[in-house]
Amino acid sequence: MPASPSIWQRLTGENGLQKWGFYVPLIFMVLFFALPVALTLVWSFFERTTFWMEPGFTLFAYESFFTSARAENYLFSMMHSGISVIIAFSLGFPIAVFVRRRVPQVAQHRVILLFILPFMISELVRVFAMRPILGRFGIINNLLMDMRVISEPITSILFSPTAVVIGEVVSFLPFMVFSGFLAMEAVEQYIFDVCDDLGVGRVRTFKDVIVPLAAPGIFAGSVFIFVNGLGVALVPTILGGPGAVNAGLIVNQAIVALDFPLAMATSAIVIFTLVILLYIGHRLFDLTKILQPIS
Amino acid sequence: MLDEYGSKWSYRAKWSYLLAVVFALLAPAFHIIYVSFNEHGFAARIYEFTFSWYRQILADTILVASLEWTFYLAVAVIFTSVPMGLIAAKFYKRSQRKIMFVTLMLAPLFVPADILASALLVYFKNLNGFFESLSDLLGIGLFYGWFELGFLTALIGQIVYTIPYAFVVILITMSRYRDQQTEAARGCGATAWQAFWQVEFPQIRVGVFSSCAFVTILSFNEATRTALLKGGFDTFSNVLVGEVMNIGMSGESYAMAGTLSILSITVIGLILTYTFIKSGRLEREARAKAQPLMSE
Repeated sequence: MPASPSIWQRLTGENGLQKWGFYVPLIFMVLFFALPVALTLVWSFFERTTFWMEPGFTLFAYESFFTSARAENYLFSMMHSGISVIIAFSLGFPIAVFVRRRVPQVAQHRVILLFILPFMISELVRVFAMRPILGRFGIINNLLMDMRVISEPITSILFSPTAVVIGEVVSFLPFMVFSGFLAMEAVEQYIFDVCDDLGVGRVRTFKDVIVPLAAPGIFAGSVFIFVNGLGVALVPTILGGPGAVNAGLIVNQAIVALDFPLAMATSAIVIFTLVILLYIGHRLFDLTKILQPIS
Repeated sequence: MLDEYGSKWSYRAKWSYLLAVVFALLAPAFHIIYVSFNEHGFAARIYEFTFSWYRQILADTILVASLEWTFYLAVAVIFTSVPMGLIAAKFYKRSQRKIMFVTLMLAPLFVPADILASALLVYFKNLNGFFESLSDLLGIGLFYGWFELGFLTALIGQIVYTIPYAFVVILITMSRYRDQQTEAARGCGATAWQAFWQVEFPQIRVGVFSSCAFVTILSFNEATRTALLKGGFDTFSNVLVGEVMNIGMSGESYAMAGTLSILSITVIGLILTYTFIKSGRLEREARAKAQPLMSE
């Protein structure tokens, strides 16, 4: 008869700590991600004090957001992010389609991995690096002047919404390629063969076959770029002019001014935007389809 | 890699476009590195190669201290984020509610850095207040300063940021592993730990090590969350942000940005090279094995 396990063995055994150990990431993410993010809504209704905030219920932070230039800035940053999404889609998605459609299966992942390299370079560096490129004596102006396209440097690129859009595209384009490719992995090769055999034109294949099938990935990539365009303060801080303000910058400014309810209200608005977008996307395209290749 | 249907030139044009996009994304970082080695700095007509800007960084005590903090933070993130990513991937495979779990694990990717950082900042301030009140109530000082802004809070912020990457990288590797192997090992009398360590881990090792490298790079590069959650110390990226905002494009800021770029390109470049070589070797081996079968 085998000896019964000791208390220590039972505690650390498969039905003890080992079993509960699997819940550690879940508990961690609930405690330090889901809870703080959800609580932003609660804190946004708190009352502001001189250095902090106290429990209460006031809509003052939202009033302060919607009745000032902040709401207008938020709408403008939504517009800029929307433009960034369109540009990133136009530049990045055809790459995902090309790799899936024309590159042999064994080499597809290797080609997509090429985009990991720029993605892993610090976003700060990538955005900072745009300054000497877009600036008055930057590479673009020098090139255009050397080619005699312009006689004087263009000064309206850097510190403008155009620079913000360029910065966002440079920062987030690889994500469109990744999510587009992930979605395209669910599209079997024979679907392209059928289109080719039927002699369907490229535009129609793209519009009526590829885009609907890859819609979950396109949507996920677009939401990522759109929401980060709204919430990452780094891009407008480094590349945008005085008028380039997004939600992330409003949050930072509110924290510096010790207006925590306003910071939380702005965060809650961004999170609400994200949740609504993901909900619509999930209802329309079933976003879980993107996860099929890794499931 | 031939295109059966399109023309050869169209195929080449598409490849050229793909490589041009990769180049365009990398070019700014390479430009930064190039300028960081110029004695005369940015926008100078003359180029003289020098290490002086990098020497200046190493001579700057604040920067060296910030590098040390960055290193400690990266090590701590590796030892927490990667095991958690691994456990999460294993949990995901056996979980019944996969969608909810994976949504929770990947959601931090979608929440912008400044938004998450501000939420965590207020959360930690509240938690700290709660624990201090608890200490006062119980009359013991045990809970004082648990969530005061500092190394621990910065670490938590970075774990939340890096865990989705570690999780996805390990999960991709794990998706090739067959659970029947674990069942076979258990059937042969191995404990759960032995089955994991001796059978499963060797097959997912590449994913675990790759996620270590990714997490290191992400931690080194992270600035926004750490800036709000770090308390009294500075990381390298935080100093760089300060330098860019206050001084602008100085030789030193180019060298700092160059350091981050060189580190990222080297580490990720090594992983990519290793992956390419390994998958090429596996492909050749598979072809060699298939050859006799095909000739039969």
